[in-house]
Amino acid sequence: MANVTAEQAATIKEIVCEILELEEDEVTGESLFREDHGADSLRAIEILASLEKEFKVTIDQAELSRMVNLNGVYEVLAESAGW
Amino acid sequence: MTTNPAGGVHDAARRVVLTGFGVFSSIGVGAAEFAEGLRSGRSGAKPITVFDTEGFEHTNGCEIRGFEPERWIRNLDAAQLGRASQFSVAAARMAVQDAGLDPADLREQRGLISIGTTDGESWDLDRLVASQLAKGSAEMDRSIAGRIRAGRLSASIAQELGLTDVEAVTIPTACAAGNYAIGYGFDAVRSGEADYALCGGADAMCRKTFAGFYRLGTIAPERCQPFDIDRKGLLTGEGAGVLLLETLESALARGARIYAEVLGYGLNCDADHQVAPLESSVARCMELALENAGVKPEEVDLISAHGTGTKANDVTESRAIRSVYGTTPPRTVSVKSMLGHTMGAASALAAIACSLAITHGFIPPTINHASTDPECEIDCVPNEAVEADLRIVQNNGLAFGGNNAVVLLGRYEA
Repeated sequence: MANVTAEQAATIKEIVCEILELEEDEVTGESLFREDHGADSLRAIEILASLEKEFKVTIDQAELSRMVNLNGVYEVLAESAGW
Repeated sequence: MTTNPAGGVHDAARRVVLTGFGVFSSIGVGAAEFAEGLRSGRSGAKPITVFDTEGFEHTNGCEIRGFEPERWIRNLDAAQLGRASQFSVAAARMAVQDAGLDPADLREQRGLISIGTTDGESWDLDRLVASQLAKGSAEMDRSIAGRIRAGRLSASIAQELGLTDVEAVTIPTACAAGNYAIGYGFDAVRSGEADYALCGGADAMCRKTFAGFYRLGTIAPERCQPFDIDRKGLLTGEGAGVLLLETLESALARGARIYAEVLGYGLNCDADHQVAPLESSVARCMELALENAGVKPEEVDLISAHGTGTKANDVTESRAIRSVYGTTPPRTVSVKSMLGHTMGAASALAAIACSLAITHGFIPPTINHASTDPECEIDCVPNEAVEADLRIVQNNGLAFGGNNAVVLLGRYEA
């Protein structure tokens, strides 16, 4: 598990669910944004941009390829933010 | 060589030719300078100054420096027009002049003005929003607010030139809009509904679109390298291209210089994805254009690609071309390597580039090219223009939302 606090994880999940228009209980750490939730590349960029804004970090766009599910997002964000 | 006119239409009253061009681009103003820029492979890339680029790591664009709208706009107050309208109006006056016409000649005829755009007056909108954020809504500039509507891009041309018997439309089909506008003008003149048409596209660079493309990861750090293995995206650009369309009969009667003939066009919209092009629908659009023009693929000598220099466009477009043209497609160039992506003006400027290529017998190069992406299996005429006898040229315009428009142009043959 990536180095994120429960509070950070909750905020991240909230942002992701808001953008993907999902209820929080529909998304697990492993469920895939594209395959399981019908997201496309634009939604992925929206997630990245919203996280950058919320956590005041810069995430390299190349990391999008890892941000395929919540666990991937936790990892990338923790690394980018240096948590 | 066949003596039949390309496209097989013989009636001079129903053939549509291009007799005047108005050009504002980062590589040249006016048809002559533009042709010289295309032939020499000039680059319009430079640091952006038309809006604040603070916070962006890469800040190159293809802007127009030293634009003097008042040299072209005489009846309207140029300072009261948005920058995109200044470009469209100035280019329209230039096109009329280039055609050897006086606006008074056009006033007596029925006309069409169709101008494509992506952003309309978004440069003004940027400034309006910035002022609203800084000082509140009450301080927003009324005169700027009043000129935001994209309809001004075409209506202002009618006002400036005093053309009252015209339909003036602005076509907002994003990055394919210039070709849409030409297609509309072609139909109007060919059908006899209009005696002439002023068609094209105009856009002014703005922060909104720069930021949007930047966030999509599509802005190149320094230069635009279409079809190159190391391509890193597009550069935003600005300007206008306006073409004067009239019947062959009318052009011959007044002894006008004919740059090229409009042979036909194709449009489609797949609405498959907001930003990703769909190969099958891009191919279908080219087929529609060829069919409309009565041209066979093997008769086409050159393709001016949409060629943005993004990963997605260049691969998809090359594949679509090969699906229509087979394994030996015509040479396929991207003038965006020089001009940047001028948005709604892009396919209008490219149509002018195609016509000038036909007129002057050369193929404009795809500059900034080192090594072709093996996934883009086309000859993009790297870096140096080549001499070529061109009879039929295809001009591609592909836009977000799957809005595609393809125009076919031919050398005028009696």
